[in-house]
Amino acid sequence: MIYSSSSIWAEFKYADSLKYVKQQSLFFVIGIFVMLFCSKMNLSFLKKRANMTLLACFILLILVLIPGIGTIRNGSRSWFGIGGLGIQPSEFAKLGLIIFTAKYLARNEKNMQEVKKGALPIFLVIAIFFALIMLEPDFGTAMVMALTLIALIFASGLKISFFIKLGVLGLVGIVGLIIAAPYRIARIVSFLNPWSDPLGSGYQIIQSLYAIGPGGLLGQGFLNSRQKHFYLPEPQTDFIFSIISEEFGFLGVLIVCGFFFFIFYRMVKIALKCNDLFSKYLVFGLAFGIFIQASLNLAVVVGLIPVTGVTLPFFSYGGSSLLMSMISIGIILNISRK
Amino acid sequence: MFFSTIHERIRFIFLISIIILIAIIIKVFYIQVFAYDKLSSLAENLWSRELPIKADRGLIVDRNGEILATNVTTVSLVVVPGQIDDAKAVAQDLSAILGTDYQDMLKHVTKSTSIERVHPEGRGLSFDIAQKIDELGYDGVYLLKESKRYYPYEDVLSHVLGYVGIDNQGLSGIELYYDEYLTGADGAIKYFSDGKGNKLELTEIYEAPTSGITLKLTIDINLQLAIENELDNALDRYNPERGLIVAMDPDTGEVLAMASRPNFNSNHYQDYKTEVINRNLPIWMTYEPGSTFKIITLSAALEEKTINLFEDTFTDGGAIEVDGAVIHCWKSGGHGVQTMLEVVENSCNPGFVRIGQTLGVDKLMSYIEAYGFGAKTGIDLNGEATGILFDKEKMGPVELATTSFGQGISVTPIGQIRAVSAAINGGYLYTPYIVDSYLESETNSLIKKVHSQSTAQVISEETSSLVRYALESVVANGSGKNAYIENYRVGGKTGTAQKVENGKYLDGNYILSFMGFMPANDPEIIVYVAIDNPKGVTQYGGVVSAPIARNVLLSAIDILNIKPSDDGMPKEYTWLDKKYSILPNVVGMSKKEATKALKNFKIEYSGVGDTVLYMSPKAGYYVKEGESIMLLLG
Repeated sequence: MIYSSSSIWAEFKYADSLKYVKQQSLFFVIGIFVMLFCSKMNLSFLKKRANMTLLACFILLILVLIPGIGTIRNGSRSWFGIGGLGIQPSEFAKLGLIIFTAKYLARNEKNMQEVKKGALPIFLVIAIFFALIMLEPDFGTAMVMALTLIALIFASGLKISFFIKLGVLGLVGIVGLIIAAPYRIARIVSFLNPWSDPLGSGYQIIQSLYAIGPGGLLGQGFLNSRQKHFYLPEPQTDFIFSIISEEFGFLGVLIVCGFFFFIFYRMVKIALKCNDLFSKYLVFGLAFGIFIQASLNLAVVVGLIPVTGVTLPFFSYGGSSLLMSMISIGIILNISRK
Repeated sequence: MFFSTIHERIRFIFLISIIILIAIIIKVFYIQVFAYDKLSSLAENLWSRELPIKADRGLIVDRNGEILATNVTTVSLVVVPGQIDDAKAVAQDLSAILGTDYQDMLKHVTKSTSIERVHPEGRGLSFDIAQKIDELGYDGVYLLKESKRYYPYEDVLSHVLGYVGIDNQGLSGIELYYDEYLTGADGAIKYFSDGKGNKLELTEIYEAPTSGITLKLTIDINLQLAIENELDNALDRYNPERGLIVAMDPDTGEVLAMASRPNFNSNHYQDYKTEVINRNLPIWMTYEPGSTFKIITLSAALEEKTINLFEDTFTDGGAIEVDGAVIHCWKSGGHGVQTMLEVVENSCNPGFVRIGQTLGVDKLMSYIEAYGFGAKTGIDLNGEATGILFDKEKMGPVELATTSFGQGISVTPIGQIRAVSAAINGGYLYTPYIVDSYLESETNSLIKKVHSQSTAQVISEETSSLVRYALESVVANGSGKNAYIENYRVGGKTGTAQKVENGKYLDGNYILSFMGFMPANDPEIIVYVAIDNPKGVTQYGGVVSAPIARNVLLSAIDILNIKPSDDGMPKEYTWLDKKYSILPNVVGMSKKEATKALKNFKIEYSGVGDTVLYMSPKAGYYVKEGESIMLLLG
């Protein structure tokens, strides 16, 4: 799928239609090993080192913001360029934070009913990371991370009233963010009526719809996408789902959605079966992280929510993202074996 | 259970997640099924690029199918800037081949548009140039077939056919009047392109252009060529300012031929002055008709029975006084005592003043209006003029007198020929027309036939036959003798009109006209000739225009296959004329007898024997004495 959606751009940019496929394959192979390693390793190590991991992620997030160390791609300074490959520390931070939160929740089980003692400290940590990622800025990843952790804390049994307050705060925050960066309002407007600015802010969503629509029930057939021919930006990353819809039609969409439903369902089942609180939180957090990212991506692509810039796990091109997904699967497999 | 709250919450989140997923699936379903058509067509527009293929313009053919306006294929240059790699090199080479400015070409080649037509320098390219461009083999440089209007008869019928602009749009004549029928629907080669304008390796769709409708005219090209030839001869001979000839079928209003001078070549209309190309004189020009208008006065008086052609007489003393004004006859000293028929034959102005007086203003004017004067004829051409009549309320005896013989009013040639047609065809006023039928371009099958349209009956059949008789008599015995054709019945009327400029008559500057028709008993063709200000010739219509009309009618005999007749009036001979004799029948006679019977003629024999089997011309024809008679012996 990556080949189909990326070959045209790869050919154009690197004169090698397999460029992205090669890179992704490399990451996939590495990912398999990492996944196997994660599924076999001693998880107590992960739990012990959670604080250290998080600190490392924190440092990386700060480093990436420094010009010269972090590189800018697509308007965000969120990459470490190593050779031709790019690594996104925010992806790792997401994982680190899920582990940390799972550990924190498990340890402060009793305190979680109290807002001051239980919830506030962990929210403070989350807020710092959220802010750092927003500075890059990478709204999509920050959103995925925040939603995942809020869901996790919600699951821990914190009072509903707290979440209502949080919701209000979040709304105020979003309004604040929009005021800070006016391009976000354009994205929102373009989501409501993409044809209001067909060449500017509405461009991506229109091009996405042009890919999905003509797909019809059975699609144009593998490799037959037209929108990938320089019409749809980022066909191999954020908008890979558009190309899937275009080439495989509604059937393809059902298969992809079914796939995410299936893995999420399996993971939630594993989480429910777990007897260890840390493991339970960890599995659920990782599972929800993957699922919410997939949902956000699909919702953007089909025009349900404004463009946020998240990739589709397992499908989109992106080394760090794939690696993180594989690690998540590894850890969950590890826990499910117990 | 220990984990009960956590599990409840996890299940709750799971439920929400599934709802989100279902919402997404529903949205995709909506996009792909309900919005499919709209998005597909929008996307199709986004992807597809069109290289236009110009439709062929409809043909124009004459009444027998002879092509008068057709299309020739030329090539035009189109560039697709998005597909051009090295714009500078392309611009350099193209400008070198076309011999145009490099900067201009660079602008075309780099213009931010999907398809750029190199206009006008890249239009109508010759085969050589097209081949050179083709040999360059650049991507994004296309040569498209384009059709260009071509008039095989060049300057023949040019005012009627009109001409087209560079985009094949009709600008005048039939081309303009029937533009929407002649214009076809353009086709295209559609291909799919990527976001950068490059051509994708997907199937091209060819949408064939639809040619315009073929128009079949009432014009007969052979007759048209004959009148064009006559006008050219008149031009050589008399060097007039202007000249025009119109031929029509008086029984239908079908225009058979129409031409004027100065004219132009429709293929190169740009080379002529706008006054020349935009003035189709037979419908545009208005002037005093002069004596040809007397036909109208005559027919009105005959219909109203205010005169008797044979019994009433008029004595012309050379002038007549009307309300203090003296109106002279063209013949100084006058024609003396004449019957009304002789008044017509002599085209005697005072005689017509008298005929007008018998009618009075109201009756005369009501006939003039009934004949359609003062209004457009409604011919299917643009730019028709109206003509001017006297205001009936303000007409006094002098205005009545001059109107009676065709002065003081102005009419168009087409208006005149229509009115006279009505006077001789039984009284029916037909709308003249030029397009006979609409034909399907591929199969030539009939789409629509235009029917001739009679708007009024002005005079009775009986009156009309009297008019025909009087006009045949004009040609046989009177001022129209120069239009006489032996063995054919020709009717007609001369006209000599003084031109008016700034309200004053010009001295020695006349429009000489002749209205002729044939056969006089049942006219199949009516011809109107007008020559404006001929030089070096007696200024009479009978001298200049009648012989031209005669030549046109002679041509029409063969073209329209008009049968000869021996019932016609014999020509009254003057000393100028050679004598004509009726051919006796010699078929069946012996060679000796025949020779004796034909003593006034030259005889050519063919065949061997002593009995005449066949003679040519046939017995009963008027033949000029001394002419050859062919006898077949056996």
